[in-house]
Amino acid sequence: MTPAIETTSLTRRFGDFTAVDNVNLTVDSGQFFGFLGPNGAGKSTTIKMLTGLLAPTSGTIRILGADLTQNSAELKRQIGVVPEGMALFGRLTASEYLRFVGRMYGLDQATTAQRTEELLEFMNLAGEQKKLVTDFSHGMQKKLALAAAVIHGPKVLFLDEPFEGVDAIAAGTLKSMLQRMIARGATIFLTSHVLEIVERLCTHIGIIHRGQLVAQGSIEQLRAGVASSGAAPLTLEQIFLEIVGADRDGNLAATPPEQELSWLS
Amino acid sequence: MAQLDPRPDHPDSTPSADAIPASTQLLAIAWLRWRIFVNGLRRQAGSGKVGSLVLSIALRILIWPILALWVVGPALGSGIFAWMEVSGRHWSRLSVLFGGITLGWQFIAINGTGIAASASSFDPSTLLRFPLRFGRYLVLRLMLGFMTASTMVGCFALFAAAIGIAVAQPSLGPAAFVVLAIFAAMNIFLSRMIAIWVERWLSTRRAREIFTALMALVFVSFQFLNIHRPTGHRAHLSNGSWLLGFMQGTNHFLVWLPPGFATNCIVPLQHPLARLAQFAALLAWTALFLAIFAFRLHRQFLGEYLSEGAPRAVAVAAAPRTYPQPATPAAFNQQPATNNDQLFSPAIAACLRKEWLYIRGNTNQLIQMFTPLVFVFIFSRGILARHPTYLLSGALGYALLGLLGTLYNIFGADAAGVQLYLLAPVRLGDVILAKNIAGLALLLIETVLAWTVVMMLAGTPIPLSAQFSAAFWVVFVIFANLTLGTLRSIQAPRRILPGQTRQLRSTSTSQTTALIVLATLLGSVLLQVPVALLCGHFHNPWLAVWIFAPLAVAAVAAYALLLGHAEQLILTHRDTFAADLCGD
Repeated sequence: MTPAIETTSLTRRFGDFTAVDNVNLTVDSGQFFGFLGPNGAGKSTTIKMLTGLLAPTSGTIRILGADLTQNSAELKRQIGVVPEGMALFGRLTASEYLRFVGRMYGLDQATTAQRTEELLEFMNLAGEQKKLVTDFSHGMQKKLALAAAVIHGPKVLFLDEPFEGVDAIAAGTLKSMLQRMIARGATIFLTSHVLEIVERLCTHIGIIHRGQLVAQGSIEQLRAGVASSGAAPLTLEQIFLEIVGADRDGNLAATPPEQELSWLS
Repeated sequence: MAQLDPRPDHPDSTPSADAIPASTQLLAIAWLRWRIFVNGLRRQAGSGKVGSLVLSIALRILIWPILALWVVGPALGSGIFAWMEVSGRHWSRLSVLFGGITLGWQFIAINGTGIAASASSFDPSTLLRFPLRFGRYLVLRLMLGFMTASTMVGCFALFAAAIGIAVAQPSLGPAAFVVLAIFAAMNIFLSRMIAIWVERWLSTRRAREIFTALMALVFVSFQFLNIHRPTGHRAHLSNGSWLLGFMQGTNHFLVWLPPGFATNCIVPLQHPLARLAQFAALLAWTALFLAIFAFRLHRQFLGEYLSEGAPRAVAVAAAPRTYPQPATPAAFNQQPATNNDQLFSPAIAACLRKEWLYIRGNTNQLIQMFTPLVFVFIFSRGILARHPTYLLSGALGYALLGLLGTLYNIFGADAAGVQLYLLAPVRLGDVILAKNIAGLALLLIETVLAWTVVMMLAGTPIPLSAQFSAAFWVVFVIFANLTLGTLRSIQAPRRILPGQTRQLRSTSTSQTTALIVLATLLGSVLLQVPVALLCGHFHNPWLAVWIFAPLAVAAVAAYALLLGHAEQLILTHRDTFAADLCGD
């Protein structure tokens, strides 16, 4: 079976700094893949490369079996993205924005109009017909960005922190929508710092740390790879901290030295 | 909540990028720009800013005819020049005309990059996530910049030149229209090529510093050339026709450049085959510029990241941490004061330091400072040189125009960072004062430089009365703009996005604000006319000083008054203030 996403020795350097270092990633079709890492580990840079927004310094990217560089336009038709910063057009209304995105993806006017209406209804944005996107709350903008990412029915969906700033009710609705997409055969590649959500949604996990892919597999595989001291199975948070939370000397990086910020009351 | 069951489109039903008609995507983008324009107006009207909307429309009605003159003027000049030279069989001067148009076109294009970009409603690179082929993206990028001032002025000038040639010698008309259309395309590609490569070269701080140094060097070289300008039989060239003289002197190498090829294609001096070869050469230059532009654009299309550092989200590898001995609260209070602290309060000193860091990294502002000085140099050798009384004010007015615009959006570069000013225990008046001090420092430097240029180049001594009146006039203009600018900065701020192409967009203000700046400055310049008439009527050149001095004092007083109320103003407008600067 052709993987939905496959990278080989994917590397991205910014001057002397290597943001993504020799990453070999495989995400099979139909997987709900969680891509985790501490702040600045290289998650967003990886997503930008996987969606064609940033050129790799070296390495290859294959989406749905085709080389992304060679088939950029065709593959962009097959993928949906909620990019970092959402990249919305603030001076449009939600309806206008979705219509624009639909047309840019080649949907005909009738289909675009119909899907726009359905998506706005689904996202609870239908009542904001005249409001400009710039006047939306962060959560509303997030929902709109997600609506725009799926309007053309993508086969692979890249979501960079999709639940950040979204209220619990909307998050629940979005989660069920994403799960139905998975059931229909789509592949979802998601980054999030909320490990509980990732644990609940994702079947497979990749962990990137300091630009290197340090773990990849199903949650069970990751759990098996990390020694557990107790009888209870490790949570994803514990697995994550085990893998990236310790520095080279084995100390947890999050543990502050005693003298740090001692002036804080 | 409705139920939605999104499913991936069936593979067979999914159109490839080729299947998306070009017209669909091009029309979608045209529609997008239209809706952004309409919604911009609707937002002003719908948010209770009816006054602002009326002001915006009124300003456009007032300013557009003046702007139209800037297009019509060069076109008329170009058409008449072409007609005269072709009628008089001075063929070689056509290449001088075309060369001059190219020079002006590219100069305006570089000078106007920031303005054009700020007027642009969105960053075209955001289109990269859509399924566009490179060819279509190239067309889109060419289309999106078509309505720039340089393109319009240049195209009209060339069109007028073609008409001039056709009227003077109708048999040359068809060739003139075809060749000059190609020549216009060449200029469009050339300006795009320059802009995109300049953006690439200036993407690192080191390159920007080198560029700034080069600009300064060019400026100094102009002065050096002027001091050592030829005297005697060529001295007459300095009277208004200096630029023409320079262009004529370049004729021998213009024949190898597009202006020369375009001329030789049109004029009936050579064998038809030779003219055909010249036409091919013109096409080759045009294709070359397009290819170089396309090459760079293709790199961007593939996802090039233009900056010396990692993007915002990518952390730089952590440096080894050291933990100094903890400071006690008492120790904080005993920190030695710096020199800045002695001159200004800590809040103002901190803001000034921040402003300096921003200015240092803002090449656009430095370009804005240096390029008008080159024009001041040209003015000083041209028509204004014959009127020393107006030379100083005219030159200063022009030199300050670009920088005055920056006073109208002083919080733009801070973007969401302005929340710190609202949260920190500082007086907002201090923050504004610090920003205005930084702006004033730049204006002062620009004024001194322009003043020096004028004094060095003026053929006849500038009367003392004219100098005093210019000084008061400058104080009036600066403080009037400072007052209006600070007001607009609070009432209608606009977020400036740093990085990539935005490095050349760092003076972005709203179009209404840009029109206010233009109207204010034009009004200030026009104010000189009745004052000059009065001085002439009463035969008293010092009258201008007596008029501008009170105006200057009034402007300073108005500014002081505003500064006293700035805190309250920001608090009153904090909703709009925060939303416009922090929102998307």
